[in-house]
Amino acid sequence: MSTKYEKEAPSYTMTTVMEEAARCLLCHDAPCSKACPAGTDPARFIRSVRFRNLKGAAETIRENNAMGAICARVCPTEKYCELACSRTGIDCPIDIGGIQRFVTDYEEQEKMDILRKGDSNGLNIAIVGSGPAGLQTAATLLQKGYAVDIYEKNEKAGGYLRYGIPEYRLPDEIVDVEINRIVNLGAEIKYNVTIGKDVTMADHDAVVVAVGASEAKMLPMFEGNPYVETAVDFLARVKEAKGDIDNIPASAVVVGGGDVAMDVATTLKRLDVKNVTDLVYEEFDEFKASKKELDATQKAGVTIVDGYVPTDVDGNTVTFKHRHLDSEMTIKTDLIILAVGQQVNTDNLGVDTDHGEVQHAGYKTDDEKVFFTGDIAQGDKTVVWAVRKGKAVAEEIDQALLGGNK
Amino acid sequence: MISKDLSVEFLGVHFENPFLLSSSPVDNCYEMCAKAFDEGWGGVVFKTIGPKHFKINEVSPRFDELTKEGTPFVGFKNMEQIAEHSLEENLHDLRHLKDDYPNKVVIASIMGTNEEDWETLAQLVTEAGADMIEMNLSCPQMTSHEMGSDVGTNPELVKKYCTAVKRGSNLPMMAKMTPNITDMVPAAKASMDGGADGIATINTVKSVANIDLDRKVGLPIVNGKSSISGFSGKAVKPIALRFLQQLRTAAGLEQLPISGIGGIETWQDAAEFILMGATTLQVTTSVMQYGYRIVEDMKNGLMHYMEDQHVEHLSELIGVANKNIVPAEDLDRDYKVYPKIDWDKCIGCGRCYISCFDGAHQAIKWDIKTRRPSIDTSKCVGCHLCNLVCPVGAITTGEVVMKPGTKGNPEDIQIESSRLTHPVQ
Repeated sequence: MSTKYEKEAPSYTMTTVMEEAARCLLCHDAPCSKACPAGTDPARFIRSVRFRNLKGAAETIRENNAMGAICARVCPTEKYCELACSRTGIDCPIDIGGIQRFVTDYEEQEKMDILRKGDSNGLNIAIVGSGPAGLQTAATLLQKGYAVDIYEKNEKAGGYLRYGIPEYRLPDEIVDVEINRIVNLGAEIKYNVTIGKDVTMADHDAVVVAVGASEAKMLPMFEGNPYVETAVDFLARVKEAKGDIDNIPASAVVVGGGDVAMDVATTLKRLDVKNVTDLVYEEFDEFKASKKELDATQKAGVTIVDGYVPTDVDGNTVTFKHRHLDSEMTIKTDLIILAVGQQVNTDNLGVDTDHGEVQHAGYKTDDEKVFFTGDIAQGDKTVVWAVRKGKAVAEEIDQALLGGNK
Repeated sequence: MISKDLSVEFLGVHFENPFLLSSSPVDNCYEMCAKAFDEGWGGVVFKTIGPKHFKINEVSPRFDELTKEGTPFVGFKNMEQIAEHSLEENLHDLRHLKDDYPNKVVIASIMGTNEEDWETLAQLVTEAGADMIEMNLSCPQMTSHEMGSDVGTNPELVKKYCTAVKRGSNLPMMAKMTPNITDMVPAAKASMDGGADGIATINTVKSVANIDLDRKVGLPIVNGKSSISGFSGKAVKPIALRFLQQLRTAAGLEQLPISGIGGIETWQDAAEFILMGATTLQVTTSVMQYGYRIVEDMKNGLMHYMEDQHVEHLSELIGVANKNIVPAEDLDRDYKVYPKIDWDKCIGCGRCYISCFDGAHQAIKWDIKTRRPSIDTSKCVGCHLCNLVCPVGAITTGEVVMKPGTKGNPEDIQIESSRLTHPVQ
């Protein structure tokens, strides 16, 4: 029996997925397929499901996206494919993420082996970071015939997929499956390695920096406070323990209004924390979290208070003030979790960032052997964008080293 | 993406894949066939070409559909007859298709009113460059009783017209049979006696699909009236497969080359027709509903099926199931198999309980408090209606028991079917 923290929402059965696929209008020149940042073609794979070709559906998803089973679970589809869905004109969009999850589950159940290693071109690429962007970069390069070494500072691969997204949204097992596919393609993952400290990159034909924004931001007033934990630390701690953590607080206050804050607040509820209050800088009409995450968080019983910023803290007692209204509230709580953003550390990596991002478009640096991708490249900071950027940097490397030829 | 050789040889002609548009509204002109070829179809049976003297005059509207719950096009009713373009236009299109798509197979479907018509049409389409001829002996909605299914139910006429076609052409030829007949074997044999090289079947089933309850008339309504006409689509697939089975198991027809038709819309349907003896496959209704693009999933799905079955050529699969379909009196009636309920999957809807009580043997007990069914083996006959109605795949085949007074080992009984399980739970 899995715990409440671990339990994923139920998946479709063959019967119910056909019902959902039958709702699809099978549009001509389908809008959903133009709306995916990673270039996924939902119209094509839903049509395959409709015509009972589940293996063909799996090929469509996997060949485009090495993170297909992960995106199926964590993508804010309501901003992309499902926003574009024509069915909205009748009632509500097709559950594209759900269908993708069914198809990728089937792919795994059938042990399908869709991605193929390209014929070796003798070139070797180092990738720093094994988050979604690094993994997708590896998958694309391996298919083109490059050898790939991935350097990971932690003891497990996956980056935020592994340590950030809660188990009930993205089971560890799924992360393992997706990474194993890439390892089976030939990726070498070297764990517990910090570049510049433990090794240098001289042996490789190119280096891709895909380190992501893995370090939590701290607000000065909370520094050194024993009641305060960052979202990054909290989510990693709970996920590693599979939800079985000591000293579950009776109440908690979450500060922040992005998807990470929603994950923290929902996780707290799933751990049976009775009172979870999330105070958010933005007001609801300017919210950062995806609608799906916000809805799920509210449904989980989290009290979300919008428009408030922390102004003072004394031990476990925090005072918040509304940004516009003359309103103040003071909450005494057992645990304060800060989900106020993450920052990038690119020390010794040959990439300059400012506010977490390289300040020019594309994926190249002044050093012709050094590339970058993922969160530090311009564009959204979601998994689906990591996939897009991973594919793009692999193409740039291929252009630079081989002119795009095999 | 998987890539496998789907090519087949049929009546001496090479097809890059077995998927053909059947002679119907879906391949009525050059542009339609060209688009279908571009999207991956292996061949077309160009819409039936009739004699110059027979004038086509169609009704409007001319289609109807049968639905069930939320599913459209369970079956499709069609009033349209043969090609409405002139003979010259049709021959011109055949010629140009062959010029522009030399590797695709262009089959000319023809229909005459007498021997002379058939012979002349056979000559003309041969001169136009067709690879093969299909004789349309089966359209059930012709405005002349000298044409269509009225001819196809008369073995004498069938043989006479086949002979006439063979006089006019040395191309390979298949006779397209009507299902509006109790036994197709005599008509099929008559066509072979007349020189046919293979059989295409089934054409559409005569039907009245729906009645308008206010106007008290069948659909579609043509100025207040309607007619019986051909029914096609998924609903007729079981009827088509039955005719394939009866043809392929008739004495002397065991190796009969068949172009299978009737409700094909997925790769699974296609594989079923192949296992029942079809070498090529003809499709219309699902194309009318969804377009030529459906061939992509049929081809890709069939390739995966071949891979799963460790088969390199489709020829290895043709007719493989025929021997496993036997007369009802030859089936093993010495055992029964109980259903098995997976409690983790059961969602407590009670559909199995209702169907077992009202449609079977009152062998499912229902716990009102827990909303869970259980099997009462003292009453269960092993019919597995419960398996069919369960929406979540929680009911599968369970223990096999021998009936009293019979011998045999339950472990030797073969009951496994992938249709009784769901691919993803």
